[in-house]
Amino acid sequence: MSVGKKDITCPTSALGTPLKDEDIKKGRVTYVEDHPDIRYSWTAGQAISRFLNELKRGRIIGVKCNECGRIMVPPRLYCELCYKPINEWVYLKDTGTVQTFSISYIDPDARPLPEPIIVAVIAIDGASPNMGIMHILGEVKPEDVYIGMKVKAVWKPENEREGAITDIKYWKPIEG
Amino acid sequence: MIEKIVDPKELRHWDGRIELYWVYTSGAAGDAFFKKLKEEGKFIAAKCKKCGKVYFPPRIYCEFDFSETEFVEISGEGKVIAFTVAKLDVYENPMDPEIYAVIELDGTDGRIIHLLGEVKPEDIYIGMRVKPVLKKKEEREGRISDILYYKPV
Amino acid sequence: MEVEKIKGLKFHKKQDVAIVGAGMTTWKRRLNETGKELSYLAIKQALEEAGISFDEIEMVVMGSAPDTFDGLHMKGEYLLDGSGGSDRPYMRVFVGGGTGVFAPIAGYWHVASGLADVCLVVCEEKMSSSHPHPQSAFKYIWDPILERPLNPNLIWIFALEMRRYMHVHNIKHEDIALVSVKNKANALDHPCAQVAEKITVEDVLNSEPMALPVRRLDVSPPSDGAAALIMVAPHIARRLTDNPVWVTGVGWALDTTMWMNRDLYFPRYVAEAAKMAYRMAHITDPRKEIDVAEPYDPFDYKELHHMEGLGLAKKGEAPILTREGVTARDGDLPVCPSGGLLGVGNPIAATMGVKACEIYWQLAYRAGKRQVAKEVTTGVCQAWGDLMQVGTVMVMSNKR
Repeated sequence: MSVGKKDITCPTSALGTPLKDEDIKKGRVTYVEDHPDIRYSWTAGQAISRFLNELKRGRIIGVKCNECGRIMVPPRLYCELCYKPINEWVYLKDTGTVQTFSISYIDPDARPLPEPIIVAVIAIDGASPNMGIMHILGEVKPEDVYIGMKVKAVWKPENEREGAITDIKYWKPIEG
Repeated sequence: MIEKIVDPKELRHWDGRIELYWVYTSGAAGDAFFKKLKEEGKFIAAKCKKCGKVYFPPRIYCEFDFSETEFVEISGEGKVIAFTVAKLDVYENPMDPEIYAVIELDGTDGRIIHLLGEVKPEDIYIGMRVKPVLKKKEEREGRISDILYYKPV
Repeated sequence: MEVEKIKGLKFHKKQDVAIVGAGMTTWKRRLNETGKELSYLAIKQALEEAGISFDEIEMVVMGSAPDTFDGLHMKGEYLLDGSGGSDRPYMRVFVGGGTGVFAPIAGYWHVASGLADVCLVVCEEKMSSSHPHPQSAFKYIWDPILERPLNPNLIWIFALEMRRYMHVHNIKHEDIALVSVKNKANALDHPCAQVAEKITVEDVLNSEPMALPVRRLDVSPPSDGAAALIMVAPHIARRLTDNPVWVTGVGWALDTTMWMNRDLYFPRYVAEAAKMAYRMAHITDPRKEIDVAEPYDPFDYKELHHMEGLGLAKKGEAPILTREGVTARDGDLPVCPSGGLLGVGNPIAATMGVKACEIYWQLAYRAGKRQVAKEVTTGVCQAWGDLMQVGTVMVMSNKR
């Protein structure tokens, strides 16, 4: 190879054998298919356990770092900027402001959805600026959503709540 | 520090599963091996053009010199160099014993792991010569399970 | 609250590091070869260009993104024999999409520390094994308790970030779409490209909506592929070539997974990594001192976002540079001359082939039809990954 000279073009070739989906389906190449059964049980931990239990009671809770003064949601046991343990729980409102949003037409496996979903990052009132959670917007048309829109949580009825992020069905715009 | 929850009923967890499945293509060398096994019932290995080491399962490269290899035909017969008898299944329930062996293949520096059949565990010994028993041609799919088991010669 | 995260860095090193060869396989949606075979093919090409033999390699760094794509636990160990790892110190690094530039950074540590004089860096990805779709593997990047019950798709994060970026700087989708048009056209000159084509801004704006504002032609495809680089000490470089390309600066930084607690309009993690790399390379004015750049562009708005993070444009100014043609191959600051991920493909870790390898080829004047028009001395490549967390930056120069 002409090392040190500038007169070659790289990459020198494009090696590799492309396949189409039907090459595999029609068995033109050999393959093995594996459908595993992998199950998990994730612990919520101290802070999120309390968060979920409060959601069941219809309330959103955050934490306050006494060092930097930030009020944070979702709650955590330590402030990740000060690296000090948290000392205080703070109840937050169930209203907020839309920081950003998107209208999704696909499901987690990249298949089209029958109805588009509006997903947003909502900064919760009562927490420090920019402290958001991701959730779904409802009772609003996609073209009417804007950054800065004020929204309120719509909860499931108390007997249907199970202590999950889905205890809030969606967030709807506050009139006026 | 905020007071810790100690009541187990208040501590939460979340269940979930991984819902993916995978399709593994055999690759350039693997495809050549499995197609030959499926169509002709023959075995191939790969010989390094530089150092002469014969790889089984076959590969398109020599792992020590990184030079190319060429495919060579082998008999598929070999000798047992290790074996074990499995009496519990994956979930630790008792099952009919299955014998797994590491078999050094003639004419190669490589080995295959497979089942042993048509033999009783107490009759197996290290160095025992074995040969492969394949599925009938119509039933072969181009996978390692096209070899049913190895039996003593 | 501004936090000065990167402080007190000392840049003691035993020896400088040069790149003398690179290689890559073709990138396509599905390739027949196994991961081991792809790594082998890319490494062969790199060794040939460098002009060194395989047994001169002393250590190996492998970069590969989640095991979930290939469905192989401990993927680094699996790929070892095809990556030249037998009989020599071998390690695997992984920071999501940032691996494309993080693996060469890890290779840099091996040589700069004096532990090795020749280090091989190889990256491989085989996303086609994952079914029903590679995107399904990304379901597991989300928090299992607070986010997954909402059935999110990976594209949502990008859509939310893009919307925020467009809102804060008042940018129109038309200006962002220009990046997709530019990169897909640039990729027509790349032999390994998967989705190179000539399109217009209207094609982008009319393509299938995925999660608005992101549409299908704003996104890069999943790919299979591999890439490799050879990094050597100065005395070895002198023996091989008169024109090695030197690594002058490296930087890497991560932000928290609490991405919804951050304002998404500016990639702070890229700025922190760039600060570290520029300080090492003695660059004070990136816009003037960088001649060619390869920021990570899995989405068209990401190229603009990262240009601002890298200091190549003031906040909000990157779309203006694109519109005026400054970032075209014959412009003053060519950006993604290879065609980037939008044009060539996105095999996560193996994107090293259009980031680090491309800047090397540009500075060595070996990029053929992709070679930028102006004279080049200094280039920067950058990668990004995870839940909008990691920024990895490498600065190279062909003058010592």
